[in-house]
Amino acid sequence: MNYLHQPELQDSLNQLLLASRPRLERVLRHFEIPPEDAEDILQDAQLTLLYKWEQIRSPESWLIGTLKKKCIMYWRKRRSSLCDAVDTAILDLVATPVAPDQEKAELSFDLNRVLGNLSARCRSLLRLRYGLGYGPSEVAEQMGYQLSSIRKVTNRCLAALTRQLVAVGFHREPQND
Amino acid sequence: MIERHPTAERLENFGRAKLSRQQNREVVRHLLTGCKRCARSLAAHTPPGMSIAEFGPVPRDYDEMFARAGRAFQRSRAEFSEEQLEAPALLRELEEHPFERQILLVINSRRFWTWPLCCLLLESSHHLGFRDPARALEAARLGVRVSEQLSVEGYGDERVLDLRARAWATLANAQRISSDFRSSDQSFLHAERLLSKGSGDSLERARVLLLKASLWGDLRRFAEATRLLDRVLVIARRYGDDQMVAKAQVKKGIVFGTSGRTEEAIACLREGVRGIDPRSEPRLVVAAHHNLIVYLIDAGSLSEAVRLLEAIRPLYEEMGDRMNLIRLQWLEGKVAQCSGRLSQAERLLLAVGSSLGELGLGYDAALLALDLAGVYARQGCTEKVRELAAEMLPAFQLREVHREALAALIVFHKAAQMDRVTLGLIQELSDYLRQCRENPGARLRDAF
Repeated sequence: MNYLHQPELQDSLNQLLLASRPRLERVLRHFEIPPEDAEDILQDAQLTLLYKWEQIRSPESWLIGTLKKKCIMYWRKRRSSLCDAVDTAILDLVATPVAPDQEKAELSFDLNRVLGNLSARCRSLLRLRYGLGYGPSEVAEQMGYQLSSIRKVTNRCLAALTRQLVAVGFHREPQND
Repeated sequence: MIERHPTAERLENFGRAKLSRQQNREVVRHLLTGCKRCARSLAAHTPPGMSIAEFGPVPRDYDEMFARAGRAFQRSRAEFSEEQLEAPALLRELEEHPFERQILLVINSRRFWTWPLCCLLLESSHHLGFRDPARALEAARLGVRVSEQLSVEGYGDERVLDLRARAWATLANAQRISSDFRSSDQSFLHAERLLSKGSGDSLERARVLLLKASLWGDLRRFAEATRLLDRVLVIARRYGDDQMVAKAQVKKGIVFGTSGRTEEAIACLREGVRGIDPRSEPRLVVAAHHNLIVYLIDAGSLSEAVRLLEAIRPLYEEMGDRMNLIRLQWLEGKVAQCSGRLSQAERLLLAVGSSLGELGLGYDAALLALDLAGVYARQGCTEKVRELAAEMLPAFQLREVHREALAALIVFHKAAQMDRVTLGLIQELSDYLRQCRENPGARLRDAF
């Protein structure tokens, strides 16, 4: 076992962190990670390096590779949380039982306008989901998808919808289906 | 409600999916109206690719963050270093007790729930794999127990899952070495399940795949073993891990060799042995060279095999354990046989046969007997061949010898009785036995 209290190992660890700093920073900048979250990501990668030190033959490559992967995972998780939040909010809005008619009509108008900018496939899928209250298996059946793939298709459509919501003005999604 | 714009803070929290359900609903309802102002301010807080608006990269200052992360790292290093210092004493303490008591201790006593102790146990299992499979199994079992007790709060849940996966893979490897292939397969499945929930560290996955490839090799699932090793090579090269590249090459060589693809085996082993560090992996260096020499002899490259054997001989002697020295002697016998020094070959192989008999390695003794019969056949000593066959068969019938070994010996015995033993028959029986091999022998089965 390589003991970390040994001065030469401490030195090599410190040198590694110092030498890899510019590359680490480039990765964080490339992935546009907010500094407050970058700290968690970097600490996590560094701590893993510390625990697995003995197993890792090329620490700098490992650290850079791991940081990149963690940055990708960070945004993937955030994207997915945001899409979930939008989906839950819309499901809540359309399910509100006591909304006055005018409010319902306005919601329907706004929702249709956003959906109108999505591809035909996503438009149909999300209309079934929000307009008719279909569950995933019913959507799959109605649209001719396998139950195993409907989750993936729904997620893509939710991502497209979320992009529309945060778009400046409503851009039309490419009609590629 | 719709016309009232959410505050900048609320929009930021929406972008980070940190709002309550009610707040979320309000923001989404507002955004559905197509509010350009809010969409614009939200764009800075949404994941890349989520916003269609183009604002260019937001300026980020990471200096403070790096300083804080550096300080936190030094604190963690100091704590971990303490644990590392305590680990060898904990291991010694455990070793004073019988195995059942060791298990109880690691389950009940928090002192043993440390990452470095777990790593020490797994390391110990790895090193014992060659010499003492039963103890390797015990060390791996203890490693698994310790890994299951580790605090996910202290070490991080994904990291602990990675280490548990490593522990299960080490146990699977120890089970493979003990020829318990069914348990080994189950343990590998469990290790892979743990890995899929872990940190996603590709090198950790590659380590598990490297061990699993050995199981597939032993089960003669050569295509799957090669596929796994190719995946390991891709990962190891991507992360610049030359040792892992070398290990994967050596394993690929052994898989090719076992499946009868001698030329490819030689090519992979040649490449693999160049990359292994003899200081950290002396056993692997010996195992890789040993197999390379055997395949070179098979391929008729005797002079290269002899050169290599002379170069690696000191390392065999340095390793010093009995099995390695027996293997060395066996190789020397084969080299002498192929060089036409038949009396020397006979003397060496007889000595190997007696050592294998003492160790109760029946399968290997059967293989050895065929090598010896080859020497006698070349000498034209049909009488000695008959004697050898007559001595061997009853001896092996008394012992627990594999069905295949016994069947080959019966064929050999009958041929000897009729003076029909030829070098071709010996080679055929020898190849057959090697293909049916389930125990370690002339070709070192990899235990790394």
